Amino acid sequence: MIDWSAFVVVALVALFSAAALVSLYSFGLRLLTVEGRTPVRTAAGYACFVVCALGVLYGIYLIVPGFHR
Amino acid sequence: MTLRPVDITLIVVLVIALALFFDFTNGFHDTANAMATPIATGAMKPKVAVTVAAILNLVGAFLSTEVARTVSGGIIREGDGGVQITPEMIFAGLIGAVVWNMFTWLRGLPSSSSHALFGGLIGAAIVGAGMGSVDFGVVLSKVVLPALLAPLIAGVVGYTATRLAYTITRRRDDKSERGGFRYGQIFTSSLVALAHGTNDAQKTMGVITLTLIAGGLLTPDSGPPFWVVVVCAFAIALGTYTGGWRIIQTMGGGLTEVKPTQGFSAEASTTATVLASSHLGFALSTTQVASGSIIGAGLGRRGSKIQWGTAGKIVVAWFITLPASAAVGAVAALIATLGVTGLVIDAVVGAVVIAGIFVLSRRRPHDQGSAIEVDVAATSVLSRRRARRAVRKGRVDTPASGVEAPFVRMDDPPEPVPAPRGTAPADDEVR
Repeated sequence: MIDWSAFVVVALVALFSAAALVSLYSFGLRLLTVEGRTPVRTAAGYACFVVCALGVLYGIYLIVPGFHR
Repeated sequence: MTLRPVDITLIVVLVIALALFFDFTNGFHDTANAMATPIATGAMKPKVAVTVAAILNLVGAFLSTEVARTVSGGIIREGDGGVQITPEMIFAGLIGAVVWNMFTWLRGLPSSSSHALFGGLIGAAIVGAGMGSVDFGVVLSKVVLPALLAPLIAGVVGYTATRLAYTITRRRDDKSERGGFRYGQIFTSSLVALAHGTNDAQKTMGVITLTLIAGGLLTPDSGPPFWVVVVCAFAIALGTYTGGWRIIQTMGGGLTEVKPTQGFSAEASTTATVLASSHLGFALSTTQVASGSIIGAGLGRRGSKIQWGTAGKIVVAWFITLPASAAVGAVAALIATLGVTGLVIDAVVGAVVIAGIFVLSRRRPHDQGSAIEVDVAATSVLSRRRARRAVRKGRVDTPASGVEAPFVRMDDPPEPVPAPRGTAPADDEVR
């Protein structure tokens, strides 16, 4: 009656992707606001934000049906 | 179809008008899903937030051409071998959906617009075609169980995301930089708004298209005419821009006080859950997911309080959405059996009820203590005052700390005493 396997998949994917996005953004924020910034840290911080931006772009890709059909 | 052509034209016009109004209520009911938390944290000013949401809804409505082939998504046994859904049924169902949407808005309760539409149609179908026309197994698996599961899954995701965000950004030197989460919120909220536009405008387009087909104005299996796409897109965008401030207030401040970190985490989990559910084949209501995420984010910050009374009211509203709009839909369908006179009575009574709810919303702004419209002017006044207080206390280290709480309760004392922060919880943002 109810597709429990689909539900579990949705739950896990949602949990994993939200956790990944939030962690990346948090790391980026922390790396860019930490005292004693080094070029490496700054670059790593920006890299985190770039990956976040890619995640958002993937979200747009998923939302717009024209992109994946 | 035994109706004369003139009758068909009347019912088609009535259905289109009502469907567009439903689309409008759908828009302002669901602005809160995307924009309640960024408004609450000051990531976006209220007007900016609803404008962005409206534009994204407008764009979203044009992006997706996949219009629903069934009005009810399988809940009513429509089509071959089943019930013929008449325009009258759709009309009565829409009345149920619109009235329930207006009522929940008056009470500031986020409830699912799709469930209201399903409920109205179920009521109309039971009156028009008997109990056998409704597949109650599908009702259970598509409406009732997801209403339990959606907030649960979103709550767990929101809680996890919030805990992660606080853990990662925790600093020993006691200076948090969590205001930066505001910028992230803009993106996650915009994704929710765009997803809403691509999904929800399609429902109204489907309803109108199926009505045109039933009225013989379109050939079966044809897609929506372009003018239908345009008017539906603008109806939902206008509704979104109007902003259901009561619901925004409930979700942005009524459930729990939302900090930028929580707002970002909540919107990220809403986006992730909604996208996962719509692409992996387990449909969940965006409204219920968004509410669950906010509660999860509230649980995830130490020292934040959840208003469980409000949460309980919201859950009750979810479970009576279907039967309540079904009851209204059934009554409307009963009246509609009188023929053209019945339709006119339906339309007039429906308009009077909607106008009445609107008047009530103006007259009793203190209703249930939850339903004050957010006045942008009042917001800015309060923000400035709070900003001054923040300056006095040397709390200007977080960006835009003056706009952290734009929700004004008119019955608040004019100079509210800030909550004592002597025992401030470890995760508080403005330390």
